[in-house]
Amino acid sequence: MPLKILVTAKRVEDSESKIKVDAAGTGIVKEGLKYKINPFDEIGVEEALRLVAKHGGEVVVVSVGTKDVHEQLRHALAMGANKAVWVHHDGPIDQLGIAGCLQKVVEKEKPDLCILGKQAIDDDQGQVGQYLAEWLGWAQATFASKEESLESEAEKAKTPAIQLAADGKSITVIREVDGGLLTVSSPLPAVATTELRLNQPRYASLPGIMKAKSKPIEELTPAGLGVDVGVKLTVTKLAPPPARKAGIKVPDVATLVDKLKNEAKAL
Amino acid sequence: MALPAAFLAALMDFPGDFASTDATDLATYGRDWTKVHTPAPSLLVRPRSTAEVARFLKLCDAHAVPVVPSGGRTGLAAGAVAAHGEVVLSLERMRAMHPVDVLGQTVRVEAGAVTEAVHAHCALVGLFWPVDFASKGASQVGGNIATNAGGVRVIRYGLTRQWVLGLTVVTAQGEVLELNGALEKNNTGVDLRQLFIGSEGILGVVTEATLKLTRLPDKVDVFLFALDSLQGVLKLFEEARSGPFTVLAYEFFTDACSARLEKHRGVRPPFEAKASHYVLLEVEAAKDGALDVWLAGLFERGLVQDGTLAADSGQARKLWELREAISESLSATGMPHKNDLALPIAALKAFCAELEALLAQRYPGWELCLFGHIGDGNLHVNIMKPEAMGKDEFLAKTHDVDADLMDLVRTHRGSVSAEHGIGLLKRDWLGHSRSPAEIALMRQVKRVLDPQGILNPGKIFPSP
Repeated sequence: MPLKILVTAKRVEDSESKIKVDAAGTGIVKEGLKYKINPFDEIGVEEALRLVAKHGGEVVVVSVGTKDVHEQLRHALAMGANKAVWVHHDGPIDQLGIAGCLQKVVEKEKPDLCILGKQAIDDDQGQVGQYLAEWLGWAQATFASKEESLESEAEKAKTPAIQLAADGKSITVIREVDGGLLTVSSPLPAVATTELRLNQPRYASLPGIMKAKSKPIEELTPAGLGVDVGVKLTVTKLAPPPARKAGIKVPDVATLVDKLKNEAKAL
Repeated sequence: MALPAAFLAALMDFPGDFASTDATDLATYGRDWTKVHTPAPSLLVRPRSTAEVARFLKLCDAHAVPVVPSGGRTGLAAGAVAAHGEVVLSLERMRAMHPVDVLGQTVRVEAGAVTEAVHAHCALVGLFWPVDFASKGASQVGGNIATNAGGVRVIRYGLTRQWVLGLTVVTAQGEVLELNGALEKNNTGVDLRQLFIGSEGILGVVTEATLKLTRLPDKVDVFLFALDSLQGVLKLFEEARSGPFTVLAYEFFTDACSARLEKHRGVRPPFEAKASHYVLLEVEAAKDGALDVWLAGLFERGLVQDGTLAADSGQARKLWELREAISESLSATGMPHKNDLALPIAALKAFCAELEALLAQRYPGWELCLFGHIGDGNLHVNIMKPEAMGKDEFLAKTHDVDADLMDLVRTHRGSVSAEHGIGLLKRDWLGHSRSPAEIALMRQVKRVLDPQGILNPGKIFPSP
């Protein structure tokens, strides 16, 4: 039973870039930063590709933002997604706005399943998947993970972790809970959000990268979709973690032991 | 050898922790990454300043005590091995780095500074010392200079020699030479600095250096390609040479290397199908449109089986790991016999064809791990010891085959040691790459700078 799966590709700062808080203390210095697809979303793309490789179907990738998000859409297309939807929005937007846009795209595209990152690594809000499921009135399988390790044979064989029932009408998802695994089942259509341990995303092949350049990117706008993207949630303060104190050198082992005992209280 | 009593008595004038005879210290500091020789130094000393090195070498010279200068000990030719009761002179406590001269694009560091630490120090101001290789986390500047280290950026930036402006060198007799300061231009007679770069510690001990820096490359792309033959690797190199970018690195490895890598590190090339050969290509300033045409051409003409482009710096690092962790993986999973050969680029094709035939004939059924900086004409030919074979039999057999291999290198006017140096391991083959007249001159130079022959005796050529 072919599946149509909608996935997301948020543009986020590359975690290997040096992130500094800006002068206003509410955002980060954007200069010199590198960007990439949100790693949780990339896992969602990978899972979707594995599902359609097994069951047939197509993968549609969506991103909301400026034209820069084409880079992330192309990356998902290069990995193997079939088509891309770009919701063009240049100003600020919050999670409600993004979920609103996604809802309208879902109503238009009519996928059987949406797979989103459980959060994005930039602001770690973790809201969009939940809003989307709520507004669509669909069940949500959050934090999808799997039993096999990322070094397992199943992973090497790119076996999907999300199971589709034989009749194609429901999915089974494994979730990690404290000290164990929880298996949930939901009828389709549904929303799933991804945990880091779900899979290891593939590298885009060069033929894939080249093919991606000619795959279609459909442009939509929030206004065209009838979505109000007025920002309700704003960041009022961004504080970096406290700077680590410089280390000191101790003259001998006795001093080290003394400091570990009496200052660090580690012994 | 037993150290002279007067020498030992004079050591009392040095700081309390200057010398060590601890058995673990001696075993550790007496060897490099080679496993052929049993370390047997008589003493380890770790000075803290050039003055201390000078005072110590004067003492050694007075008592004819042999000294092995020692850095990060990541060498692969036993150049830093002390197997005959020498004193190991480790520079590791001399690792200070001065602030970077941003305008002059230079930095002054002590010889014990670790390569990777120098990189991090310079990256803070957007500059880069382009001496870069897999062992950068342990190798030290002094050792890089003494071996004129190569590595993965040679195709773009050249060898260590090109990135050293000034040196402080202590001679065997304890004289301190300040060579060239921080000058880019200095045409005032024979450039003595160059004599010490690549001399493997037989002429003097480098204690400090002024390094030349360059700006970090702007936009870097890392590709990995899967191919089906060594000839294919050479063909792709031809294409890369004329590609719409500047080549920063062109590295290759075979499936045998990648299997050892998977065993040791659990990583493997990110392709569906296995290939026999892989190429890592790193380029700078690729022109987008032209790059697409170039890539499409490779696939249309069937020059590559598959390929990938790192999407972000994390992926780039993982692709590099596939190449950089090979040497470590071979040593961790077995005993490799290493040959580090260099050929003129023009001779590579013919040489590689003959090499494959020779290896197949002389090592039938053996595991051969080929990799290297093929863009520099540099091949690392690693022969793995079969599990059941004893070490002595293995060494005898490989030495026997090396004779043929080195003859082949000589026929093609190559080098028997591209970047590892001669050390103890390649001495027998020095004459394949250097003429008797050259070797005689080297010995004369050695006698002038080290009349008693106390510095790294037996390395490059046997002691008289």
